[in-house]
Amino acid sequence: MIAENTQTQMRKGILEYCILSIIARDETYASDIIAELKKAQLLVVEGTLYPLLTRLKNNGLLTYNWVESTSGPPRKYYALSDDGRRVLEQLDTTWNELVFAVQTAVGKNN
Amino acid sequence: MNKTIIININGIVFHIEEDAYEVLKNYMTDVKRHFLNSADSLEITTDIENRIAEMFSEMLSRENKQVIVEADVKAVIDQMGTVEDFEHADEDAVSNPRSNTYDYTGGTRSLFRDPDLRLVAGVCAGLGNYFNIAAIWFRLLFALTAFFGGLGIILYIILWIVIPRAVSRADKMAMKGQKLTLQGFKNNLEEEMSAVKGHMNDFKHEAKPFLYQLRDFISDFFYLLGRFFGTTGKLLIKILGIFILIDFFAMAIALIVCLAMALIWNSGPIDVFPFSIIDNKYFGWICISVFLALFIPVLAIILLILKAIFNTQSLSRSSAMVMLTVWLFAIGTGLYYGTKVGKGFRSSASFTQTAPLVNSSNNTYYLKLNDIKYLTGEDSTRLDIKPGFNGTINTGDEDFERNEPRNMSITIEKSDVAQPVLVQTFRAKGSSYENALFNARGTRYLFSQQDSVLKFDRKLQRISGTSWHDQEVQLTLKVPLNAVVVIDDEINSYVWGVDLYQCKEDNKRSDANWAAFKMTVNGLECKVDTLVTIQPDTLKRIK
Repeated sequence: MIAENTQTQMRKGILEYCILSIIARDETYASDIIAELKKAQLLVVEGTLYPLLTRLKNNGLLTYNWVESTSGPPRKYYALSDDGRRVLEQLDTTWNELVFAVQTAVGKNN
Repeated sequence: MNKTIIININGIVFHIEEDAYEVLKNYMTDVKRHFLNSADSLEITTDIENRIAEMFSEMLSRENKQVIVEADVKAVIDQMGTVEDFEHADEDAVSNPRSNTYDYTGGTRSLFRDPDLRLVAGVCAGLGNYFNIAAIWFRLLFALTAFFGGLGIILYIILWIVIPRAVSRADKMAMKGQKLTLQGFKNNLEEEMSAVKGHMNDFKHEAKPFLYQLRDFISDFFYLLGRFFGTTGKLLIKILGIFILIDFFAMAIALIVCLAMALIWNSGPIDVFPFSIIDNKYFGWICISVFLALFIPVLAIILLILKAIFNTQSLSRSSAMVMLTVWLFAIGTGLYYGTKVGKGFRSSASFTQTAPLVNSSNNTYYLKLNDIKYLTGEDSTRLDIKPGFNGTINTGDEDFERNEPRNMSITIEKSDVAQPVLVQTFRAKGSSYENALFNARGTRYLFSQQDSVLKFDRKLQRISGTSWHDQEVQLTLKVPLNAVVVIDDEINSYVWGVDLYQCKEDNKRSDANWAAFKMTVNGLECKVDTLVTIQPDTLKRIK
């Protein structure tokens, strides 16, 4: 139970970081994000992404544009806001620190 | 071949097979339920719906088809993930204190109007749920405050408008502070379907504007009002209908009893006037046809009322036709025999017989009505009258008397001979002269003399088994000159040409129940009693 909890905690943090990173590259559509996350084996189903995106958007990290689609309803294309960009920069730093910490702490076991 | 349904997902129209629709609907219900208590529920579910719509569009164009089948829906769900997957992913969200995905885990209660326990709109039941107090106390409170210038009523209406109705199971669970788990939902998914109603854009719980609540209130109000009047109105009509139904049932039963009485208990014609017209031969037929002519409409009305009130099946066309035919046939038969009976009155005939009377000792004749007759055994057999108690029969039955038209009359004339004579003229009608005469012959008139007392029967007796053909007897009593005739009050109405009351007046004895007449050369005249008459000279002397 504790392990599970830790796992989800870790995943969650990384997931948000990855999403922000993906969006940082370009205006991105949800299914593109999904495709990348699936490839990275971070996320399995699409459904879980939408609440995350909405929450990030509501926290002011993301903005979106409606873009007309040839197949189906208009799409929401997400982009980072200025806040988002700042947060991502902080997260980048944090991530590098974490990688260093983990490598230092765990790497010795190997 | 499968039935397809047209659905609209955020403005895009899809044709979807029925099974696939069910799967999709259940899935969307689950999803909406899952995000129900999230602040961003509308946005999240709209995003998901949009994505589903997009995936459908892609599938349709890729596979070049027009209808979404179950496999497509399953593929979409696989890609989107089930609620269980969300739940798994959301476990992190639980640890996030800012997330409000699960609001009701701690047993806090939400204020909803409770439609399950409601009396009017469920406001009190909802308040009771919220405060965990029996709803009755809130009801009492509202009822009592209603007397303070209607405060309670106004307050109630405001609460009715403001508090949302608990529509879904989630609402109801939240209302009662139950822990909100997906398992709880799944147990009663069908119940909640009504909340979704297949309309995927219908978000009842999302920031419902006041106007919508007002609309809900008004529709609720009129629905209740309509239901109240609808049910009471229907009830009144039903009660009325049942009363009418009972009447007609009584009629039907009465008709059946009449028929049974006429056919089984009384094999012969009923000897009560309107029925005694009917000839013995036709009696059964007329009974049945009259019965059917009356019974079938009664039956039809009963069936109609039954259909109107209880929605029973209406009579099949063929049975209705049979009923109509039988009815028309009954009317026809009735008319046929009716005319036959009527024909029995075309001719009339009469015959006369003279019975000599004995001179009374004092040349006075008392005319009396023979009210009660004690029939001898011989009389009974001759007249075929079944004896009653102790072998007696009361022929002075008033009801019986009134039933049949009067068929006896007496006139008093001067006798040509020194002996009183009673001339009896019997009349009757019939289909022909012979028949009429036969009918006249089939009667018996009973008359008796005991010295000065002449007793007349009230009516002419028909011999049993014959029908009424306007039989009558005209009696002419011929008394010798100077004979005194004392007429009884009772017989007065049968005697023609005498004024009993005038005679009593003349005698100053209006309280007497008889009057005396004397036969003169000019006919019957009132006999003024000399004993009572005051002579003019004596009158003078008294003065």
